[in-house]
Amino acid sequence: MFGYGLILPALVLLTCLVAYPFGMAIYFSLSDYWVGSPGPFVGLTNFREILGNDVFRQTVQNSFLFTGVALTLKTALGVWLAVLLARDVRFKRVLRGAVLLPWVIPTALSTLGWWWMFDSLYSVVNWTAIHLGLMSAPGPNWLGQSNYAMAAVIVVNTWRGLPFFAITVLAGLMSIPREFYEAAEVDGATSRQRFWHVTLPLLKPVLAVVILFSTIFTFSDFNIVQVLTRGGPVNTTHLFATLAYQIGLQGGNLGQGAAISLFLFPMLALVVFLQLRYIRKE
Amino acid sequence: MKRTTRRQFLQTSGAATAGAATWLALGKAPAYAQKRELTFLSWNHFVPASDDELRKQAEAFSKASGVSVRVDTIAHLQLMAKFAAEAQSQSGHDMIRTHDAIPFLFESQLADVGDVVDKLGKQHGGWYPFAAEACQTKSGWRAVPWFWISFPATYNMAHFKKAGFEHPKSWDELLKQGKVLKKQGNPVGIAISHCGDANTTAWSVLWSYGAKVFEADGKTPAINSDKTAQVIEWWKELFKDAMEPEVLSWDDASNNRFILSGKGSWIHNPISPYNAALKEKMPIADDINHHTSPAGPAGIHSAVPILGLGIWKFSKNVDVAKEFIQFLFRKENYDAWVVASNAFNHPPLRHLADHPIWARNPKFAMLPKEAEYAHPRGWPAKPSDAAQRVDEAFVLPDMTAKAVNGMPTKRAMEWAQDQVARAIKGQLKVG
Repeated sequence: MFGYGLILPALVLLTCLVAYPFGMAIYFSLSDYWVGSPGPFVGLTNFREILGNDVFRQTVQNSFLFTGVALTLKTALGVWLAVLLARDVRFKRVLRGAVLLPWVIPTALSTLGWWWMFDSLYSVVNWTAIHLGLMSAPGPNWLGQSNYAMAAVIVVNTWRGLPFFAITVLAGLMSIPREFYEAAEVDGATSRQRFWHVTLPLLKPVLAVVILFSTIFTFSDFNIVQVLTRGGPVNTTHLFATLAYQIGLQGGNLGQGAAISLFLFPMLALVVFLQLRYIRKE
Repeated sequence: MKRTTRRQFLQTSGAATAGAATWLALGKAPAYAQKRELTFLSWNHFVPASDDELRKQAEAFSKASGVSVRVDTIAHLQLMAKFAAEAQSQSGHDMIRTHDAIPFLFESQLADVGDVVDKLGKQHGGWYPFAAEACQTKSGWRAVPWFWISFPATYNMAHFKKAGFEHPKSWDELLKQGKVLKKQGNPVGIAISHCGDANTTAWSVLWSYGAKVFEADGKTPAINSDKTAQVIEWWKELFKDAMEPEVLSWDDASNNRFILSGKGSWIHNPISPYNAALKEKMPIADDINHHTSPAGPAGIHSAVPILGLGIWKFSKNVDVAKEFIQFLFRKENYDAWVVASNAFNHPPLRHLADHPIWARNPKFAMLPKEAEYAHPRGWPAKPSDAAQRVDEAFVLPDMTAKAVNGMPTKRAMEWAQDQVARAIKGQLKVG
């Protein structure tokens, strides 16, 4: 009995902060609910509505592209950065601390910095590249052309998410016993072989968890897109969260907004299930 | 340090819990917080001195009435989400600054202010019809029209003179002159993006060519038409030959920077860049001037932003809020506020509009006349939450952006027609 008592606070928190909002979201998505005025139960109408909306279909496409590319970049660069950070260099602690900065600064704030860097008139990115002779003036219009805008939000997301990958993978690296490397060296393995056959397999469990978390974070990103493009140009950078905000809060249609944000839930749940099972097996 | 025994701790924390419990049970804030306070959620004004004056008047009202007034201001694009949150939770501020069709979107949530509207209308020579339309719903007045923002053209006289032009009188002339100006290195600039200015100009151009988004009944989408096609062709040519692609990424401040940087020759915008140039003592202020919003085959039409003062029904201070609104509309207060905004805030009441500030500066002289061309969004239909959703989803700028990026005109219009139909379908059922 006492034992159950101990988990009570956690249970209360979970109920209030997770279960209740989640239940409300499901209720909203199944009813014709408008801001401040509840509506009747309408079944899956909201989901049918959003599926028929061209802007939503575009958003699904954007989200997969955004998450796929950003996640790949973060994984590859994160492992690379972690391997570099694992080396014994001077100022090791300062370096490791500094790497965390993008992750620590509030996103809205740091993204404002990026927003200025991509500004159409005063882009420091273009200015630098033009003066280095890498681009011809005036350079790409970062936030105004769909491909560049997508590239811009992916770059910022990668920049922000990289430290999380690097530091977590670094912790994984540190836990690999030195003996494995010594044994591999004795067997004549090159540094590349050591990475592929020792480091990577032993990192797998850590990587799986990091990728799992990051998939969820990246799919549900809001700040970066909201600050940089507000979903533009022509909705080509809208993600689920920004579209849900636009339709649910700004347009007042809470039902459809909730349907949009819940759309991913079954799929993400499946991803989580599969990955967790994989991790347990490992 | 005095050590707390376990018993003492239990006693104090027990008392604290009991206190908190009573407080919760009574549903009342402790006595010290009971001084009456009126709270007002507004925007960060584009001319900050206007907010300073507003706060000054709020303080004066506090002194006179004994009710303290708190004015909170946030970025204009964030207002909508905040309103939604307050309406949903039935708590927050007492008063809000409405814009466009908010009185319709929150028709069931806002208190009726018809009595204040009547009184003020009689005092100050009557309301402009477009301003009245924007706040009067079927069930009554859901906001008091507060001010409107003229949306003229702002241009750089030096660039036009160099090209041998005075300024464009019509959208067609803007295209012709813009082509020359772009070659001269001074393109024109209208945002085709997810921002408020892009919406305003898009409505204005559509109307000037006789096109419309809704039929007059407000229930039938009407954007798919030959007239809209004509407008889209005009945008395409303007985008290609008179503007830079950067307009696709603009926000509401970009065109201000564009004209103040000295590069741009023409923008469609309120007078804020000129006011900023004056305030910062930028030499370019001498070159900047305004002219009436351009005409089309169907005349001049302007989708001026119309701002109002609404009071939440859930507020416990509805009466005080009404008094405060009337206080703001006292002639001496309203005039001081117009002066603080340097002619940016336009009165929706005829007599208040006779302020010398516009006549005195030749660069402002044409501004009050813009009222003759003004309509609320949605026109020729009455304003509605559907019109608001068309704006919030940036349907008009997106239609244009799709077309200038290569989508065939017909398909871009069909896309917009579908989006407008969706906005109508979601119409609120107010009972």
